[in-house]
Amino acid sequence: MSAKNTWKLHRWSTILLLPLVAYLFIKIIHLSTLPYQLILSELSNLWGVGFILIFTVLGLIHMNTGVHEILDDYVHSDVVKRILNVIISIFFLLILIFVCLSLLLIFIG
Amino acid sequence: MVQFNLPDNSKLTDGDYYKSEKSNGNTKKFKIYRWSPDDGKNPRMDTYEVDLDDCGPMVLDAVMKIKSEIDTSLTFRRSCREGICGSCAMNIDGTNTLACTKAISDVKGDIKIYPLPHMPVIKDLVTNLKTLYKQLKSIKPWLMNKKQNANDTENIQSRNDREKLDGLYECILCACCSTSCPSYWWNSDKYLGPAVLLQSYRWLQDSRDEERKERLKELDDTFKVYRCHTIMNCTQACPKGLNPAKAIAGIKQMIAQQ
Repeated sequence: MSAKNTWKLHRWSTILLLPLVAYLFIKIIHLSTLPYQLILSELSNLWGVGFILIFTVLGLIHMNTGVHEILDDYVHSDVVKRILNVIISIFFLLILIFVCLSLLLIFIG
Repeated sequence: MVQFNLPDNSKLTDGDYYKSEKSNGNTKKFKIYRWSPDDGKNPRMDTYEVDLDDCGPMVLDAVMKIKSEIDTSLTFRRSCREGICGSCAMNIDGTNTLACTKAISDVKGDIKIYPLPHMPVIKDLVTNLKTLYKQLKSIKPWLMNKKQNANDTENIQSRNDREKLDGLYECILCACCSTSCPSYWWNSDKYLGPAVLLQSYRWLQDSRDEERKERLKELDDTFKVYRCHTIMNCTQACPKGLNPAKAIAGIKQMIAQQ
């Protein structure tokens, strides 16, 4: 991806995450007042699953571009940078798999 | 990786103390970074007492007085002494600025003077600006206009277009901004830095230039522009009151709109 597109992606993910983070806070406060079964039903409906998935994907995109910025800033060795990139990609992929599995479990009850 | 510790031969030591002969009470201490490549010693901070009653109002006046009357071995660049040439850029009282436009009275207590940070020191307050000039050359800081070359006619610019260059053309390339930028410290070999990017934006904004697309294409690189993280030290440091951070934001916007 070109530098311009990476920069745009980082900025757009920031803008999109702002209302989502605000909504997440409100939702967490709301969920904390509900009993366990109601929380499960709130999370397992289509809106709940959709929100968590969108939030996770956007968050991972934002984190990924952000971490790459940090690596570009401070890691000057190409070899070390490549190794760290692979480790970070695996880490983010594991987070995505973990979130998807959790949602599936909640969704199927 | 980034080097967090100074090499052993870079650690500062206490230097000599030069007491003022005429001590009428109105003296100021100038602590100045000294290093010579010839003696193999560590850099040191020499202290000079300067009689302010017999000295001009600016830091450069004091530094010149020190060189001519106290210690002739002190090495620094200076030329116009009125903020036009940018030669006397140095780190005074913790800020990169021009010694000729910085008033002694603006600094409370002792005045500490260092060379521009994170630049290779040639001697004392003189730094090596080769990389900066190479980067400046890379952005082609001149008008590229095929039409004018072919017809050899006057290249007219409207008042509005000319006004777009205000706040850009005044840059004197003193390097105060670039050497105050942490991003430039870490990646000065690849990141162009605020001074060069301000110059680049000056040519991007010039209505007479025909190579805008090419210039932007050259700049669309992970390191050349995008190492700027809007820290704003450049704007804070600029002794001419310019805003390189805004210029860099303008470049990013132009690239994004392309």
